[in-house]
Amino acid sequence: MKINMKEWIASLLASGERKAIPVMTHSGIELLGRTVYDAVTSGDIHYQAVKLLADKYPSAASSVIMDLTVEAEAFGAEIHYSEDAVPSVVGRLVATPEEVEGLVIPSLDKARVPEYIKASRQIAADATKPVIAGCIGPYSLAGRLYDMSEIMMAMYIEPDCIKMLLGKCTEFIKRYCLALKEAGVNGVLIAEPAAGLLSNEACREFSSLYVREIVEAVQDDYFSVFLHNCGNTGQCTEAMVYTGASGYHFGNGIDMLAALEQCPKNVLVMGNIDPVSMFKMASPQALYDKTLDLLTRTAAYPNFVLSSGCDTPPEVPFENIEMFYQALADFNQQRK
Amino acid sequence: MAELDKLFDSIVAGKLEPAVEVTGQIIEERLDIQLIINNYMIKAMEEIGDRFQRQQAYVPELLMAARAMKGSLDLLKPHMKGEKAATIGKIVIGTVFGDLHDIGKNLVASMFEGCGFEVVNVGVNISAAKFIETVKQEKPDILCLSALLTTTMSYMKVVIEELEKEGLRNQVKIMVGGAPVNDLFARQIGADGYSNNANAAVIKAKELLCIA
Repeated sequence: MKINMKEWIASLLASGERKAIPVMTHSGIELLGRTVYDAVTSGDIHYQAVKLLADKYPSAASSVIMDLTVEAEAFGAEIHYSEDAVPSVVGRLVATPEEVEGLVIPSLDKARVPEYIKASRQIAADATKPVIAGCIGPYSLAGRLYDMSEIMMAMYIEPDCIKMLLGKCTEFIKRYCLALKEAGVNGVLIAEPAAGLLSNEACREFSSLYVREIVEAVQDDYFSVFLHNCGNTGQCTEAMVYTGASGYHFGNGIDMLAALEQCPKNVLVMGNIDPVSMFKMASPQALYDKTLDLLTRTAAYPNFVLSSGCDTPPEVPFENIEMFYQALADFNQQRK
Repeated sequence: MAELDKLFDSIVAGKLEPAVEVTGQIIEERLDIQLIINNYMIKAMEEIGDRFQRQQAYVPELLMAARAMKGSLDLLKPHMKGEKAATIGKIVIGTVFGDLHDIGKNLVASMFEGCGFEVVNVGVNISAAKFIETVKQEKPDILCLSALLTTTMSYMKVVIEELEKEGLRNQVKIMVGGAPVNDLFARQIGADGYSNNANAAVIKAKELLCIA
């Protein structure tokens, strides 16, 4: 469904009604009676899971599976799969400047990339609300290819090598985002959690500069980029904003009010109910209270969008999801 | 004469080469190695840790400092025969069975190592039996269990229960960590400590071992 996202964002800002966009797909997979493995390897199942959730809950937009291994696998990284958990990258693909130089930017027909594009195409074709696809951010991808501990030191020891790697990651992500855009989705959530471990300066130099390049290449009136960084505890919000994205998605480690103050008023600022300790492990009442508290505290900010602090894990009780939306409904009712 | 303040500053700044240079002078001049480790090197790691807590340093800076510290320690160790070992405790660390995530676990292992702990990193997807075998073999002061997934974090409890069955639980402190883990969960499963970042893990480990 083609949507003018600039107008959509403006309509959210103008609306007196608070909206929610949780990053949630595992519950859809469970509703479907399939495994995580099924969903991360089949675009069809992925689509069905997202559709079930879109039909069942009043989220303002649909999100897709946050799988931060798709791009690394396309580059050639070894991936470990399990039935009920998102895949993980095993080992290290590149370790030397020579290996980085020799690393080929993969085409979009590698590994599971076609399945993810297929899922996005199907979800978009069938959608009644905006669809926000997903991909990894350049620094988080580079860290998966180079080893996360090693890249954090190599940034200072061999910056040229790491910047070459970041350049290749950025080019791939850019092409991937353009393919997602062509598939008909309305935006993309770029997940860059590893950049949250950096100072504001380092985040800007090793992440935001590259994310900005992607934003400039893919974002327009009909396609928005949203930047997710659940690792940011408040120190690198300024660097995030430098990217020029249409919205920022924060984790539960951040003070949401401080983040709202640091972000422009014309972009969406999303967060940040803890996906594990609240969505999965808290009682329905505790989740309701926490959600209502967050909504109340952020009531003065028209650009706030209620969300989970990261993607919600498998086995979230459905009663908790109901209470998340109930808190939203009650809050909106009270404001009328 | 060895510039000991330069050693301190180099570790804090994460500069390996000058740290190694001063370490060479220390060896050449046959200075009191243990004293230098305690008064300059560990102090330097404490300083960078404090900066991390105050958000004046971040994970890369911690890792760079740990790298400089380790580079110096590796040079000093062969010259410490007959003296107290250059380690403040032994740690076994691994990601629990079913979970292959190692980013956080490796960051924590690097920090432990840089802060003077001897670290045995057993890797990922580690069964309770393997943890028990390693505890028997390595006799660590602390066993650190990591998990990124909500579906695998419950296995930490299995490891603790198996250690109890083997009569090993009281011989080793247990710390847990990972994105889905929190302090309440740590207490519920009977762990001795929890931390949510690499620096806090070092502080907690020292606290558990009563190291000032």
